[in-house]
Amino acid sequence: MENKNMKRNNIFEIYTGIIGLAALTAGTLNIIVWSGIYQTIDLGLFTVGGDDFFRWVWGSLVVMFGGIMLISGAKNIHKIEQFSKAFLGAVMIWIVAGTDIFAVVCENIPAGEESAEFFNSISGFISAFAPPYAPAVVLLPFTLVFVVYFFRNEEK
Amino acid sequence: MTISTAKRWEIVDLIAGQTVTSGEYKPSIKDYLSELTVKPLTGIPVALAVLYAFWSIFSSFAGALVTDGFMVKLFDNYWLPWIQNVWPNPDSILYFLFVGDPLADNCFEAFGMLTSGLFVSIGVVLPAIFIFYLMMTILEDSGYLPRLAVLMDGIFHKIGLHGYAIVPAILGLGCNVPAVTATRNLETKKQRFIMMVLLAVFIPCGAQLGIMLDVIPETVGWVMLYLIIGFCLFGFILGKLIPGGNPEILIDIPPYRKPTFQNIYKKLWVKTKGFFVNAIPFVLLGILFVNVLYLLGVIQALADLFAPVFVTWFGVPKETVGPLIAAFLRKDLAVAQLSTIAMTPYQMITAVVLISIYFPCVATFVVMLKEGVKELAAAVGVLALIVFLYGGLIHLIGILLGVA
Repeated sequence: MENKNMKRNNIFEIYTGIIGLAALTAGTLNIIVWSGIYQTIDLGLFTVGGDDFFRWVWGSLVVMFGGIMLISGAKNIHKIEQFSKAFLGAVMIWIVAGTDIFAVVCENIPAGEESAEFFNSISGFISAFAPPYAPAVVLLPFTLVFVVYFFRNEEK
Repeated sequence: MTISTAKRWEIVDLIAGQTVTSGEYKPSIKDYLSELTVKPLTGIPVALAVLYAFWSIFSSFAGALVTDGFMVKLFDNYWLPWIQNVWPNPDSILYFLFVGDPLADNCFEAFGMLTSGLFVSIGVVLPAIFIFYLMMTILEDSGYLPRLAVLMDGIFHKIGLHGYAIVPAILGLGCNVPAVTATRNLETKKQRFIMMVLLAVFIPCGAQLGIMLDVIPETVGWVMLYLIIGFCLFGFILGKLIPGGNPEILIDIPPYRKPTFQNIYKKLWVKTKGFFVNAIPFVLLGILFVNVLYLLGVIQALADLFAPVFVTWFGVPKETVGPLIAAFLRKDLAVAQLSTIAMTPYQMITAVVLISIYFPCVATFVVMLKEGVKELAAAVGVLALIVFLYGGLIHLIGILLGVA
């Protein structure tokens, strides 16, 4: 039983580390692209780059710090103080991803300046959610495991 | 009947024994999260994330969804053509005051009380104020705001304030009127004075932010950067120069809680109602008054008088002087007026920073007056000096960078 728990903890530690590393890499790459060293990187599902200084740079910094916190909380993640750090890192990624999704929703409810209509069509609204996505949005589903762990811990 | 001290303590022990349970406290995740959001190493990145969310939700909701998505279309395509058609005699003074330019095809450029005035107050400022206060209430009720105050305490102490100065500073981003009132929470006269001056000079209100995001979105980041630098620089100088104490604060940090709908609804209603009563009349009357001053030639006369200072010292074109003078009454409208003038990007940044650090709007002046005539007079003196020095410094930076 104890071995099984240890194995599970080890898997969770590695998983958290990988997610953290991915977030750190995505955040850093975004800042490198913004600084002009590289051109925008488009990998089909997600894109590194942007046209909005505020969302792009500030948001990338948050994702980068989120990655650092996930990595720092990965070791001994079964300990509550370590999990809290990793959880906070995941929250930071949710903030960026959530606000990105909220921005897409807000921009696509209205029909657009040229249209005579006030509201966008349903198909027009749905098509706005097609890829490529920002890195934080891609990372979002992979960080949801921390919610499950958080509530399990709260129950205990 | 008298009870001896020993007997009293016996009773205390008896009551304590029956009511207090002791044991080992095991900290929960919430306790650790609470601690992590207060420690600078982890707390500052979290604060960056929270403020990012605040700003992002604010601009998405107020800018993209309500104002650009619906209000612009409603006012420009329906309200403006209708009022231009039904209001008689486009050459009359009343038409100029209430409808504005008869050839304007959008409410931003019409500059009438019932066109630009209504559009700014209902179409731009109201959604901005609504989402701003909603976010503020959630931060307050969740328990994050006191943690932010603790986190900012070190930085604010360097400028003669303490962590709770973050409350008027953030409130000022919504409206400077409640922010000036909130400075009463600060302990000493020195703290209140510094905060009042910094609020009046370096914190742009929701109305101005809303207009800036709508009219000059590409320069907002630079304008905010200049304002933050100015806030810290002049805060530090004022903190050194102004006599008085700056005591430490003792804050009782509440646990993190889920905000309740009832509380959010009540607070939001009170604040939005306050905006309707206190600010909208000022927006409308401000535009009316600016139009009257234009008609009487006062703005032009002042513009001619101050033009040499603005052109040579601040490095902005002569045409910007009119909007800058009018900014005393309506900063947001002045930003809209600036957007129609041909300028280099750096001149636009300088002009918008000048409008922001320029004299606060009339409503803020009235509230500052309530804090004391002496305080207001001193604040205006300091303010004028800061505007002159910082405006010149921005021009100098532009010259050194070769962009002015």
